[in-house]
Amino acid sequence: MSNYITGPDVVKYACSCGLLKPITRLYFCRHCLELRCGFCVCHEVDSNYCGKCCENLPSAEARLKKNRCGDCYDCPSCKQNLSKRAATVGPKNPEDPKATPRKVYYLLCLNCRWSSRDVGIPDQAAATGSWPERENVHAARLQEIIEMYKGIVLAEKQQKMEKDKKKQRRFMTFTDRTGITASMLRKRIGLPDIPHPLLKPKPKEPEEAVAKEEVEEFPEELLTKPINLNEITTLEQRLNLPEWQPTTVDKLFPIHKQVSVKRSQRCRACEHNVSKPEYSPTSIKFKIQLFAFYHIPEVRIFTVEPLRAGKQCELLLKFSNPTQHQTVITFLPLFPSEDSFASKEIKELVPDEEVPSREIVIEEKQPPSLPGSQPSSLLHTSLSRTPSITVKPRPIKQAITANVELPTSNFVLLPRDDAAEFDDSGDTHNIQDDTKLVVWRKSNKAVIRLNITPLENLNIGDEVVVGFTMQHIYVNTITAVESKEPQRYNNNVKVFQYLGKIVGSE
Amino acid sequence: MPLYEGIGTEKLTVVMDLGAAFTKLGFSGEFAPRHIIRSEVTLKGSNLTREIYSYVNGDDLYDLLVEFLHMIFFKYVLLSPKDKPVIIVESLLCPTIFRETLAKVLFSHYEIYSLLIVPSHLVSLAPLAINTALVVDVGYLETTVIPICHGLPVLHAWQALPLASQAINNKLRKHLHSCNIKISEVKQNIIDDIKVRCCFVTPQRRAIQFLKSNSQLNYCPDLQYPLGGTKIINVPGKIRETVAEFLFEEDNDHQCLSTMVLDSILKVNVDLRVKLAENILLTGGTVMLTGFKARFKEELYKQLNSSRYEKLKLSKFMFHSAPSKDNYTAWLGGAIYGATEVLGMKSITREYYFKESRLPDWPNMKDNSRIQ
Repeated sequence: MSNYITGPDVVKYACSCGLLKPITRLYFCRHCLELRCGFCVCHEVDSNYCGKCCENLPSAEARLKKNRCGDCYDCPSCKQNLSKRAATVGPKNPEDPKATPRKVYYLLCLNCRWSSRDVGIPDQAAATGSWPERENVHAARLQEIIEMYKGIVLAEKQQKMEKDKKKQRRFMTFTDRTGITASMLRKRIGLPDIPHPLLKPKPKEPEEAVAKEEVEEFPEELLTKPINLNEITTLEQRLNLPEWQPTTVDKLFPIHKQVSVKRSQRCRACEHNVSKPEYSPTSIKFKIQLFAFYHIPEVRIFTVEPLRAGKQCELLLKFSNPTQHQTVITFLPLFPSEDSFASKEIKELVPDEEVPSREIVIEEKQPPSLPGSQPSSLLHTSLSRTPSITVKPRPIKQAITANVELPTSNFVLLPRDDAAEFDDSGDTHNIQDDTKLVVWRKSNKAVIRLNITPLENLNIGDEVVVGFTMQHIYVNTITAVESKEPQRYNNNVKVFQYLGKIVGSE
Repeated sequence: MPLYEGIGTEKLTVVMDLGAAFTKLGFSGEFAPRHIIRSEVTLKGSNLTREIYSYVNGDDLYDLLVEFLHMIFFKYVLLSPKDKPVIIVESLLCPTIFRETLAKVLFSHYEIYSLLIVPSHLVSLAPLAINTALVVDVGYLETTVIPICHGLPVLHAWQALPLASQAINNKLRKHLHSCNIKISEVKQNIIDDIKVRCCFVTPQRRAIQFLKSNSQLNYCPDLQYPLGGTKIINVPGKIRETVAEFLFEEDNDHQCLSTMVLDSILKVNVDLRVKLAENILLTGGTVMLTGFKARFKEELYKQLNSSRYEKLKLSKFMFHSAPSKDNYTAWLGGAIYGATEVLGMKSITREYYFKESRLPDWPNMKDNSRIQ
């Protein structure tokens, strides 16, 4: 397993979008029976939480707090978490003998020893909240400008609408006939004109900024006085506080900690979730986890003979079945030339006597759903999600540098059984194996032998890559409405093995 | 927009300014970006950090942008991009491949609802509430000058030169190489940091003295920049003071920052010249370099005396200071535009994009009838 974390990835699967990834980075959509990866699923923000205090923030609150935790702070100097420290100071009036010492709090970074006392933030009497916040000095002016622009655009919009309205009018009004409007009449009588209630006053224009001849003066002392780099903030420190960008360290202020999100992933083709975490920030479990690792047989390289260009050598691959259902694995060429090629050959298999009936475990974890079913009537069309855009899959660019002699026979992989580890009753399981193909077998795992021939024109040191299409039987436990039986499909997955480099002759 | 997002609450629109070095991102209607991050991604497989602008072709850029925007949306902005509007602040001189690929990523990969692209020079004026100014954007890759007259960018008067942060970084690395060994292995962000913390732009009187062979002037004090706890980079005073000098030295075509501004003014109608000279706005991160603005002004006056610009008849230059830090002025403009109804009126919707499968652009005669 550690190989999947540290790499290098020696076995890669082709995702339906055309990218090659190790099986641990893939999802398997049970509804459209395709491999998906982080690139081709639709990511969504599920819930916000603070990574330090593990507090769940509802999205409205997170929006209000500008996606920052109200209580936790980051160090402005090194971006680590700030800790709250308590200190005891003398009572307010030292003369009073009964007065108890007070507790005050300040913020301290345990990494770089920056503290809120360094920059003159007064110690607080309460541990949470009440830390002074800073305002943008230009806030009032900018608010005014935003209001002005809003007004201008709105007036423009109204004008446009008015124009459209005028065009539509086809009837003669009373004023058209008499030539007198209400306001004219009012004027004639001597009454003050009342403004139209719908007509908004013209947007107020704030005064324009005035250009000045003077610019920031050059600080002359820079030429003679040596500067202390410890007092000048780094570029990163400045950009962490984009609003102020302080140039000296005495103006650094603690930063509210940015919240993190839990993401859920959705298949773009069928809009079903392939991964959905639990809401609680402290939980690392999933509500839905359709990881390929739990559905697609895993292929590992067992061993390979030294690779020589043009010489046939033996490759042992270990297959393991992660599912609760028996599967049969067949080898197919990577790119079939026949017209029978279809990325998904969905053909229902008749359960034959080879598969004992007890193997079919129907797990109704999810309500049945059909790809073509109508969305719930609760979701109005305008409120529901717009269907995703499917991006055309890119062609697989991986060059194949060795030929595989594909075995004509297939082999059976038994279902995964956690108790089998402790079962000593033989490893053959009464399965008639092609001894040329299957070398070894134990519970849900099997090692098979393939003959490969690296291409003639390879030089020493060239990477050898082989690939084949693995066809396995996938048992879908999501039952359709018409048939209660779990459906069995032939699923094709393209698998690539990176076997290493060509070595010299013996 | 899904129902559970809440109907009554004010909509939050992401505003992004994807710069060559730093990306500014935040929400419309706010007064400062939430984050300013480096425009680079660390690729999962190889652990290699690549800048967005280091792309080799469109497909490469597509993958880089998918990675980068994923980080933006789920690490910084914390919003599902699907069915949301997005505002991009972009230079009018942005490469077509970049903006087209960005639109493709946003529309087909992230499935955003609509996209509003605002020109950075124009919107930089929004925080100032003025509509005529000469905008000088000194960024990372290049410096661009575009005059804005009565709210319209005067494109035929644009000027651009690769005199910006990247050139300073390269110069700095080259100069440091002479007094430090193994400087070529130092990462780009360290060089950036040395530039920001140690270097400055010297006043003109000193620069003239330095050019003379018999100058008696002493350079500013040398500095030792600590690196990684054990190493030290020596930064001599000469480098600290003169590394950005080349921005104001005329090249073989007699071009430098100050001539760009004056050339641009020259190309504009006579009636607008004085007004532009009296409304100059400096934006971009590089103008925050200590002493840059003071020197820039001095250089403008110096150039005015040369015979090339005699006919300009200008007597004074005036500068604006935006209610923001210079490196996010353009972003702030985008955020102000985003707070208005412009978003609904002018943005490109998904339906339009997929019908046309391209963005409207000013050099395209289909969109711009003013090009002859």
